[in-house]
Amino acid sequence: MTAVSPKRAWWTPDIPKSPLMRRRMLWAYAFISLPILALLVFLLGPILFSGWVSLHRWDMLSPVSEMPWRGLGNYVFLLTKDKVFAKALGNTFLFAIGGVGANTILGLGFALLLNSRIRGQRVWRVLYFMPVITAPLALAVMFSFIFDRNFGVVNSFITSLGLPRQPFLSAPSQVLMTLIFIAVYQFVGYYIVIFLAGLQGIPQDYYDAAQVDGAGKWQEFRFITLPLLKPVMLFVVVTNTIGALQVFDLVFATTGGAPANSSMTVVLHMYNTAFKFSRMGRASAMAFILFGIILLITILQVRLLRDRAYQD
Amino acid sequence: MNYLRKPLLCLLLVTLIGALAGAGLAQDDITLTMLTHWGTEDQLAAQQVIIDAYMEANPGVNIELVTVDFGELRTKIITGRTAGISADVYHFYHLWLPDFVNAGVLAEPTQDDLSYIDENVAQGTIDAVSTADGQVWGYPTEVNPYLLVYNKRLLAEAGYDAPPSTWDELKEIAEAVTQVDDTGAISQLGLGVMAGWDSGIVHPFSALLFSNGGSYLSDDRTVAEFNSPQGIETLQLYADLVASGGTDPSISGLGDFPSGTVGMVIMAPWWRATLRAAEGIDFDSEVGVAEIPVGPSGDAPSSIAYTWLFAVDSNSPNKAAAWDFIHWMNAEHEAGQGSAIGDFLVNALGAIPSFDHDQAAFADSMSDHYVSAFVAASAYAHPEQIVAGGQEIKTLLQVEIEAVLAGMTTPEEALASVAAQADAILEEQRMMAEE
Repeated sequence: MTAVSPKRAWWTPDIPKSPLMRRRMLWAYAFISLPILALLVFLLGPILFSGWVSLHRWDMLSPVSEMPWRGLGNYVFLLTKDKVFAKALGNTFLFAIGGVGANTILGLGFALLLNSRIRGQRVWRVLYFMPVITAPLALAVMFSFIFDRNFGVVNSFITSLGLPRQPFLSAPSQVLMTLIFIAVYQFVGYYIVIFLAGLQGIPQDYYDAAQVDGAGKWQEFRFITLPLLKPVMLFVVVTNTIGALQVFDLVFATTGGAPANSSMTVVLHMYNTAFKFSRMGRASAMAFILFGIILLITILQVRLLRDRAYQD
Repeated sequence: MNYLRKPLLCLLLVTLIGALAGAGLAQDDITLTMLTHWGTEDQLAAQQVIIDAYMEANPGVNIELVTVDFGELRTKIITGRTAGISADVYHFYHLWLPDFVNAGVLAEPTQDDLSYIDENVAQGTIDAVSTADGQVWGYPTEVNPYLLVYNKRLLAEAGYDAPPSTWDELKEIAEAVTQVDDTGAISQLGLGVMAGWDSGIVHPFSALLFSNGGSYLSDDRTVAEFNSPQGIETLQLYADLVASGGTDPSISGLGDFPSGTVGMVIMAPWWRATLRAAEGIDFDSEVGVAEIPVGPSGDAPSSIAYTWLFAVDSNSPNKAAAWDFIHWMNAEHEAGQGSAIGDFLVNALGAIPSFDHDQAAFADSMSDHYVSAFVAASAYAHPEQIVAGGQEIKTLLQVEIEAVLAGMTTPEEALASVAAQADAILEEQRMMAEE
């Protein structure tokens, strides 16, 4: 009968018996302690402080010790009275749905094309990836001109086809779609690269076996490519959703939320509330609500996609 | 190792002497940081001339100039204070004054400064840099009333040799000036608005509101009054102009008037430098300035004026030196010569200075057809009503005016909605002040 060691709690270190190993372990803890300290000071600290501020009214100018207590007042105001927040939340969801959908479909589509035997494969990859490394503000300014109602290239093209001129960024009904287009243009290259890496990780043997069994291209895609790409899909959807729900720079530089808050997003409203209206407590509450939403959506996405990925 | 001892001791001694000397120098020298939003190359050079002159006259005082874009100025002041790296001297928009005062950001001027301002500035302008209790918080700088700036050539080509004086004329001329080509592109616009910029939207609206006999807030600044029948008429004017094609929010009055494709825009005097440098319009022969057209409920032209002020941060360790520097910039050192800031405002910006001695000294420079009209308007324009939360109210109003321009809501609904929110903000600010 062999002796069974008592179960060790997860937080107690497994101290090695050899002095050499013990010394190594000490060094490991020494090295890891700095990043942990930095994490505590620069990440956890501000998060906790922000949570505390969200329960107060603070203009960022008065001393922190004199912040008036508001309890859940900021949260209640945002969820029941702040029309701009409701509008911004709706816009942000639409932006995320449109952006994630388009990036996933186009990213996978272009990756499949690039993975096939087309000419100039490397050139295409570079071309698709170039917007990713372009400064978002520069892209925003460039697209403001491209989509200008009167002098923009897009409208020149549209009218040359005999179609009516479109206001794009200056119309409430079109501004969000235009912003989604710009965001997809900027980031689809990144997702193409991710999908491409996933595609190149699928063994050729599977396709060869499928061809022996008489499978067509669509069946190969449906029963081999798509199931094996699901972990990649999970990464793409989750990271893209998190990024899209936090969109700021693109909207700030192109429309600033105009016209009439039609392109207002949660983070832009948060920025205005904090720095323009000096309501840091309300802005912090907004940050926590957004955090909760992102957390919930991410958990849902991971559960849905991960479970299916493993089932398949 | 003995051979190293002497050189090391010498090095230590030299370092110690250097540190002590540095500490001695630092003790004598004062460094003041001045934060402004005047950041173009010409404006920076002109400000540096003033700073250099002061430093030459006051050895031991160093002035560091920091400039940020207007859109970032308030954020810079707030974050600087929070981070404990605030500037000593601020130049800021007077609408933010109540917020800054309530938060204890500003230091009170000395009695000498208050007396100097009182003796040399018109009461209306002094009120614009004072809180409701009558406390003055700084030296007022530029006074900016709004007027109708128009392109004489475009109006003449449309058959009009004089600018509009009533709203009916405004609508008629705006429609006549607008030109749309076969593809639907607006090649020329009657009246330009400035969507996306709160002052660019709310100040022209307020100028038209006052010219229609309306008011922005009540006299005691406790409730909004821009939702009055006069206010609704004003916003209806915008809706009518959009419907007739006289204006279009997709065209920026600010950007396109200087290119010569916009007939009229409601703007402030500081635009002179931009218009002078513009290639699409000749400043001397084509730029005209007229009073704000009178609305159906108004009986005389009126307008709105805002101002800026120099003030000192309450955390500054050198408040006395900071006030001395501000006073030096604004004071007239030789009779009839005007102040350094007056010279800068008039000649570098085209703005109207607050101090009487500057208005007298630079009368010639302000006598051109552009600035002289604004000088005349500064006598009757209503000062912008400053109140805690004023910036938030202004942004809310901007958004609702844009909603009307975009056809998303009616003038009545828009103004009722923003007035209710404005009243709630004013009430909240009052309660906070009482706490």
